[in-house]
Amino acid sequence: MRGTLTQFGWKTSLQVILSVILARLRLRSRYKGWLLLGLIIPIVMSAIIIFLGRALGGPRAAENFFLNTGTSNYVAYIILGSNVFMIVSRALWDFGFWLRREQETGTLESLYLAPTSMMLILTGVAIYNALHSIVNFFITFALGCFLFRVNPLQGNIPIALLFLSLGLVPLYGVSLLYGAMVFKLKEAHALIRMAQWVASFLMGICYPISVFPPFLRAVALLFPPTWMSNGVRASLLGVGFFFGTWYRDLAVLSAFCVIMPLVGYSVFLATERRIKRNEGVGMF
Amino acid sequence: MIQKLKLSSLALGSMVKKELIIMTRYPVNFLVSFVTSFIMVSMYIFVTLMFAPQRSEGSLAGVGGVGMFGFFLSTFFSSTLWEMASGIRWEQYQGTLECLYLTPASKFSSLVSKVIPNFIWTGFNSLAMLLFAQALFGRLPFHNLGVAAYIFTMTIAGIFGFGFAFAAFTLLVKESAILTANFLQFSLYILCAMFFPFSALPTFLLRISRLIPLSYCIDAFRSTLMGYPPGFPELLPIEQELIIITAFGTVMPLLGYLLYKAAERKVRIEGSLGEF
Repeated sequence: MRGTLTQFGWKTSLQVILSVILARLRLRSRYKGWLLLGLIIPIVMSAIIIFLGRALGGPRAAENFFLNTGTSNYVAYIILGSNVFMIVSRALWDFGFWLRREQETGTLESLYLAPTSMMLILTGVAIYNALHSIVNFFITFALGCFLFRVNPLQGNIPIALLFLSLGLVPLYGVSLLYGAMVFKLKEAHALIRMAQWVASFLMGICYPISVFPPFLRAVALLFPPTWMSNGVRASLLGVGFFFGTWYRDLAVLSAFCVIMPLVGYSVFLATERRIKRNEGVGMF
Repeated sequence: MIQKLKLSSLALGSMVKKELIIMTRYPVNFLVSFVTSFIMVSMYIFVTLMFAPQRSEGSLAGVGGVGMFGFFLSTFFSSTLWEMASGIRWEQYQGTLECLYLTPASKFSSLVSKVIPNFIWTGFNSLAMLLFAQALFGRLPFHNLGVAAYIFTMTIAGIFGFGFAFAAFTLLVKESAILTANFLQFSLYILCAMFFPFSALPTFLLRISRLIPLSYCIDAFRSTLMGYPPGFPELLPIEQELIIITAFGTVMPLLGYLLYKAAERKVRIEGSLGEF
């Protein structure tokens, strides 16, 4: 199908997605300090926990950690946790804050007036986020391992990469749900802060979710990033998969890949429709 | 003189009231800051459980003391830094900073008023956090309350001064201030060992820590509340730390305010006060 002014073919759709990615990349590249901060935060976060652990456990820190988690390599465990957390956090920021910024700068209505689907624009935002997150993940993981003198090349790296890349899909479903919430409640900063803390708590940056009481553990298991985080750690550090083997855990994550984007997008559409009928999308 | 003081406090009261009205218009923000305090404490506890398997209530309370008292001061530090930086920035964004300067009200009051409502809320949150930690860790040590209160007051005064200096920096560098606030916050979390003992820091970082007055405040505050157990305070004997803290609490507000006035004069001469 060829694209016209009102009807988009696959080529023009791809162009829309590419334009959104480029626009986001350009905007991000204007704030180099923020790029640097994105690399530093997971390392600082890991350092706080590592120093705390060393102070608590002393020379037996690794042994104690092994008894509780199944690996004595607590440094890699924590660096991985912080990095996966940053991926989650960045996805929420990039969706929630992007929507809010567009509202505040008065450009959201213009985007809705453009002869394209919102789905394509959101896909562009998601791809930009995935690129940014994955590049940052590798740099900070390598940097963290270098600073704390840990070998980054251990365990089953291809399986870890599989968990990491597949885990991004349901994450964007969650982000869409979250975007709908920002749309409705407006207070993006507060909601993002809340979501960051809840996410870091549920997915266990520095502890396995087995420490939770049963109800909380069930809630954590319904949160897709928990599977991503555990999958990456289990593949690299051998801490054990939730269902014993990697392919079973990966099957659960794949199910999330189907369910979460569908749920997220339908909730987003419903919220968007309601807002269009009432106060309008640009109102903040 | 009395009339002038009366007018100043009236202006400060009105400014605080305005900030409070704005704060209450964002109820989710209130709820979030309250809930996150509890999440932070719970996470801290899970971390301690990972590294310290042999625990008796007493030892866990000691561990909790180091982290929680540091946490307590860190919330005030973050809140002041952010309110000073983002408060000025927000007035610039809204285009109201120049209007504020055109009123005959004190600029000092305008700065302080940005922090006070948040400060009260932070205090309430931090106390709730300590009570929650006490319920989970067991009884936290609360010794030498008088000395601890003195250290707290001086630290807060010093942090206010630091906030003034940072507000000056915000006037000069504008958007980069928010980024710098982030950098500062995260660096000082580590360098001032806010959530762990100084003994956990590598030697080269400890050397930098010793150059920052806030490190002595954190060290003295938690050591005093814990009743000076062996090895605490970690940086210097308490008498020497108290001298540093007193100097920090008296000199820093003056220095910060002088820096703010200098920055203000500079941007007014350049005509960039309201620019963003």
